[in-house]
Amino acid sequence: MGLSTYFEKKGDAGIVIFAGKGGLGKTTCSAGLSHYMASKRNRKVLCFSTDPQASLSDIFDRDIFGKGLISVIPQLDVVEIDADRRVADYQEEVKQKIRSMYGLTDIPAEIEEYIDSTSAEPAMYESATYDAMADLVSTSGHDLYVFDMPPFGHGVRMIAMAGILSKWVGKITEAREKAQEYEAVAATLKGAKISEDEVLRELQEIQTKITRFTDLMVDQRRTSFFMVLIPERMAILDTERALEMFDALGLQMAGLIVNQVYPKELADAKGGEAVEFLRNRARMQQKYLDEIRSKFAGKVVAMLPMYPREPRGMDMIEKVSQDLLFGPAL
Amino acid sequence: MADSKDPTTSKSRGRKVRDAAKGVMYGMAAHGHVTAALRTRMYLEHLFMFITLGDMLGVPVIPPYYSLRILPYAVPNIKSWKQRVFRERDFTDQVF
Repeated sequence: MGLSTYFEKKGDAGIVIFAGKGGLGKTTCSAGLSHYMASKRNRKVLCFSTDPQASLSDIFDRDIFGKGLISVIPQLDVVEIDADRRVADYQEEVKQKIRSMYGLTDIPAEIEEYIDSTSAEPAMYESATYDAMADLVSTSGHDLYVFDMPPFGHGVRMIAMAGILSKWVGKITEAREKAQEYEAVAATLKGAKISEDEVLRELQEIQTKITRFTDLMVDQRRTSFFMVLIPERMAILDTERALEMFDALGLQMAGLIVNQVYPKELADAKGGEAVEFLRNRARMQQKYLDEIRSKFAGKVVAMLPMYPREPRGMDMIEKVSQDLLFGPAL
Repeated sequence: MADSKDPTTSKSRGRKVRDAAKGVMYGMAAHGHVTAALRTRMYLEHLFMFITLGDMLGVPVIPPYYSLRILPYAVPNIKSWKQRVFRERDFTDQVF
């Protein structure tokens, strides 16, 4: 029952990704799974939030936003990336490189304006996040990476974007190599030395980084994608769309987690106004749970209850991890 | 006259003659090819600038995160590239 069965069959996954609409419990699931894997399976876990709404800080009850790797319990590190700061640091790095390459104290105004203006591009945030994920996976040395994806486009859009970026880099590398060939011809005819193309080297580095990480993300033996939803109409529709998107990208979803489920007994509860409210909610949920059963047969791997208080702090995370790993399935 | 018998001077004169002959040969046989190769390389360079830094001209190409990594290497060419792209053109450009 629960995710434990999945991980017993699957063996030791290297990356687990939770995706889905905003506010449905991706962070709760990420924290719960990370806690279990670190404390009970003794795996070195890194839980990474790419969500700009800083929810790992809230659930772990600690300010970790933009503070780098923070150890919350033995074997469990968490990171909440401050993508805005990462973009700003990156821009400064580019400016510094220009200054040192050409011995400038000031960067030409139009170039500086261009660099500054790039932070207004919405995709800069996604790219910076993707870059941070790739860096962490290749350098931090953890056994398991749990990614709490941002809600936009189910997080899988990042993989689509990586595919496009990879093609783009491939094309400009091709153009660059052709230019380099012409330069080599001219240099040979003139009897001059052929200079090494720094840009080509830089492009090859970018290509390697993107390809290596994307290959890892789409490798079903090492990476598991889970979608989190709640028993409500909009979440079901969104999950259907996400599944189509997964198919289009050649990804296979490992399973669905249904969150915030009211106790079944509430559907028949008797009492005053407050009970009537809860009864209506529970009945509505039962209807949508039936729909989930029929639409996503065999895909639901875990079900989390609606907790009497918000899942926050270590005791609640531990409780979530038990329900997530060993709780009843749909 | 004594100078002409100096082996160092005659060696340097020999080198000058050889270099001049090489220059003539280069001009006759290779200069056109070199110019053509360098011109093609320039076109490819401009194409490369366009697909990496098109944003600078207001042409959105791709999220600029990775093109910023290329930017430092393109700095010396940006001015001439922009001049070339924005230059007025007429039919004589096709002829010459």
